[in-house]
Amino acid sequence: MAAAAVYGAGGAMKGGKLGMEGAVDMQLNRIRITLSSKNVKNLEKVCADLVKGAKAKELRVKGPVRIPTKVLHITTRKSPCGEGTNTWDRFEFRIHKRVIDLISSPEVVKQITSITIEPGVEVEVTIADV
Amino acid sequence: MAGRGAGGGGRKTRNFATFRLFPRAGAADPNDRVFVRVDNNDYNVPGFADEDPFDSNFTADAADLHSFASGPLPEHVRREILELGLPDDGYNYLSHLRELRPAASAASSFVPNSTARPEPLPLDVKAYDASRVRVAPSADDLDEGKTMCKVAAKTAPLRRVQRALDPDVARLLDESDFSHGGSEDEGLEEDFVIMANQAEGDDEVEEEEEELGNGIFSDVEEEKEEEEFEDEPKPRVRRLLDEQFDLLALEEYGDSDDDDDDRGGRDGDYELPSEAIEELKLFCDQNGCVDEDYRTPADFVRGRLESTTADEVDESANVIQKCAEYAERYLNEPAEEKETVLVSESSDESEVWDCETIVSTYSNLDNHPGKIETPGNRRKRLPRVFPGETATTNDLIKLHGKEKLPVDYLPQRKRNGEKEKKVKPAEAFNAEKVKKEVHKETKEEKKARKAAVKEEKREARKAKKELKGLYKSETQKAQKVAAVTGPSSIRLM
Repeated sequence: MAAAAVYGAGGAMKGGKLGMEGAVDMQLNRIRITLSSKNVKNLEKVCADLVKGAKAKELRVKGPVRIPTKVLHITTRKSPCGEGTNTWDRFEFRIHKRVIDLISSPEVVKQITSITIEPGVEVEVTIADV
Repeated sequence: MAGRGAGGGGRKTRNFATFRLFPRAGAADPNDRVFVRVDNNDYNVPGFADEDPFDSNFTADAADLHSFASGPLPEHVRREILELGLPDDGYNYLSHLRELRPAASAASSFVPNSTARPEPLPLDVKAYDASRVRVAPSADDLDEGKTMCKVAAKTAPLRRVQRALDPDVARLLDESDFSHGGSEDEGLEEDFVIMANQAEGDDEVEEEEEELGNGIFSDVEEEKEEEEFEDEPKPRVRRLLDEQFDLLALEEYGDSDDDDDDRGGRDGDYELPSEAIEELKLFCDQNGCVDEDYRTPADFVRGRLESTTADEVDESANVIQKCAEYAERYLNEPAEEKETVLVSESSDESEVWDCETIVSTYSNLDNHPGKIETPGNRRKRLPRVFPGETATTNDLIKLHGKEKLPVDYLPQRKRNGEKEKKVKPAEAFNAEKVKKEVHKETKEEKKARKAAVKEEKREARKAKKELKGLYKSETQKAQKVAAVTGPSSIRLM
């Protein structure tokens, strides 16, 4: 799977570094945090907070990757009946998605994510082996 | 590479776990979230999301519950449910409990209503404020009537009563409200706003009292004026004029308020004024009046009935005389008081037209006067005469039938005339034929005759149809016109 491949590649790359940072004893995982929201402002704020928090804990952070926004279009007739000029409403629903990669232990991530959350932002955390 | 373990056929080993942040069920704080696992992989993350979402529900109660799945709820659970006021029917309602929002916001959600007036009384209770009644220091002249009046004067009915609270309790309550949290009100050491609001309420009660007091009992007035200076400051000193005004207002616009007061006052030994009582007595004596014959004042004069109101009777008997006197006086007066009134005539010099006369105040914008014409009869517009018509000598257009059509002027009549003429010679012709060959051609004759009759009928039907069609179209046109111009009740079709 693509995700597994990414993990694998990342793991191979970071193995050496981990050896150097041997002082840190707890097991580290690759953690991917996916943030999605309808509201860009809140989303960006949460992203920035997360990255800042991670950097403060001196974790390796891959900065917020912006996945292309998905736009859901809904085009409906304005009229409740069929009469009249055929005017249409065009509604759209935008979903923004950001991905942040970290390498850390799960507890630390829990701490970070518990602090920063704004309403309306959905957080998904995927934890995999290093 | 490192991640890809499995072979080509199966799925690659999925060594990851995915968690999502959800708000905790039953949590007060929307920011109280937990990580919930959303995938089914075998991968275990020991340090993360150790609390399953179901863990939060696995409180001591729930643990007990699951052991008592089908049996009755444990005692302490049942007690708790009952305490909350929920029914004891074997269902654990505690699982549906929700935490209240933290107390930091509680102070802001329960704000004491500073503008609330004290509660209105229930309908079967009447309350009076007698705080102003002065008990006479000396018990010497205890004239009951006077005392009652004084009491009544000072007592005012209340429509709203505050719940009886100890002042200490009230003070404590107020204090406890303010001690919670850092509300902005704490900064306000002075509560002048609140005091001002309360002062307004008291003023209303005062005014009611005063209106009553100034009604009848003048001996109380002096005391009243003294008191006023003691009480909460009025805008200005009450003058005699103010009291008179209040009296007047009372008389003219007596509230139900004042009626209540009066009734409240009369509940004691309050008596009607003596004149009223006498009148009533008189009325009772004269009670016989109403039952029997109708009596006029003249009857009284002539002594048919006895009566105690001799004075009144005399007066009424003299009414006619008095009327006559007045009339005479009136007649005589103008004769005596003829005055010469000098009327100055205007001189010719001043009679200059200094303004134009107005024929009409209507402006031409709205009013469109017509031109005055010579009274020739231009209104008479006869319809055009159709060729071949015979009924044009009259100036009257006759309308016939349900559809009210001007029958004489319809265009179709002509045709029928022509057809008739055509038919007639044909008939005559046939008739002649028949007469010549009576014996032989009975069948043919019959046939011919019948054919002729049929033809006639056919023609007649055709003509009728045409006429009907014509009528209908004309009626439609007429209806259209009538719909626009005439009243809506006209129905021609």
